[in-house]
Amino acid sequence: MKIKNLLPEVARRVRADNDHPFYSLQKEMNGVFDNFFRGFDVAPRGFTKGLGTFSPSIDVKENDKEFIIRAELPGVEEKDIDVTVTNDLVTIRGEKKEEKEDKDKNYYYMERTYGSFCRAIPLEAEIESGKAEARFKNGILDIKIPKSQSAKAKGTKVSIETV
Amino acid sequence: MSDKDLQKTENVAVTEKIRNVKTFIPRVDIYETKEALFLIADMPGVDEATVDVELEKNILKISGRVENGKVKDYNLVLSEYDVGDYERTFTLSDEIDRDKIRATVKQGVLRLELPKAEKVKPKKIAINAA
Repeated sequence: MKIKNLLPEVARRVRADNDHPFYSLQKEMNGVFDNFFRGFDVAPRGFTKGLGTFSPSIDVKENDKEFIIRAELPGVEEKDIDVTVTNDLVTIRGEKKEEKEDKDKNYYYMERTYGSFCRAIPLEAEIESGKAEARFKNGILDIKIPKSQSAKAKGTKVSIETV
Repeated sequence: MSDKDLQKTENVAVTEKIRNVKTFIPRVDIYETKEALFLIADMPGVDEATVDVELEKNILKISGRVENGKVKDYNLVLSEYDVGDYERTFTLSDEIDRDKIRATVKQGVLRLELPKAEKVKPKKIAINAA
């Protein structure tokens, strides 16, 4: 009996996927570099956040037909938001303005952040930029963009016949 | 490297929840003018129907529920924030005129105006030439 057979089910399955140990090592290394470089996209954002400027948090969801992009923009005016859509990129730009009504005010807490922001979201499938819809309610921006016909067609299902 | 929830901090201290959602501590600004204290809280997703402001003794509690925050039957591609309720409490001093507290909600931002009581407002004393 091989030692492998004594391992729990999960461990066996992992080894079966990338049978050669060097292959799995290479895969792991690739992953390390991928994650590292991906980190650069995120780092400036985190960095500027530390300096007290505003950058919205974004969720992206998809199904077969469309993408839904949601951004938290509390306190931003509708007229200060600018959404542009190209074939595979959605850009949300805007400014969260600090209210200026009260002249001499002393701050006790200042946890909220202000400033202009720009987030570009690359999407993995082609989209129909002309059919994008955006709604803004209670500080949450909702963008719906249908996927293009060609993007939908990419995943054509092949039926399997039994012989 | 996850910078999720930098805008929102989860409140882990909330006791015994009935709703099965996370609770966040909203970020607030508090500033003082001659007339009043202002408290401004970022609570994206709430409106005037789902936000609550309670004052009991000298504890001011602001809370908000986020309804329909979840989108079903979609795959998550990128997630930078969680959807959940908001809750935060503050202790007020006696210097606030409790009957005149006003609250407004606009675009997910709660704004509370806490007017100072007459007795603590700064007064200028006129000086007469003798």
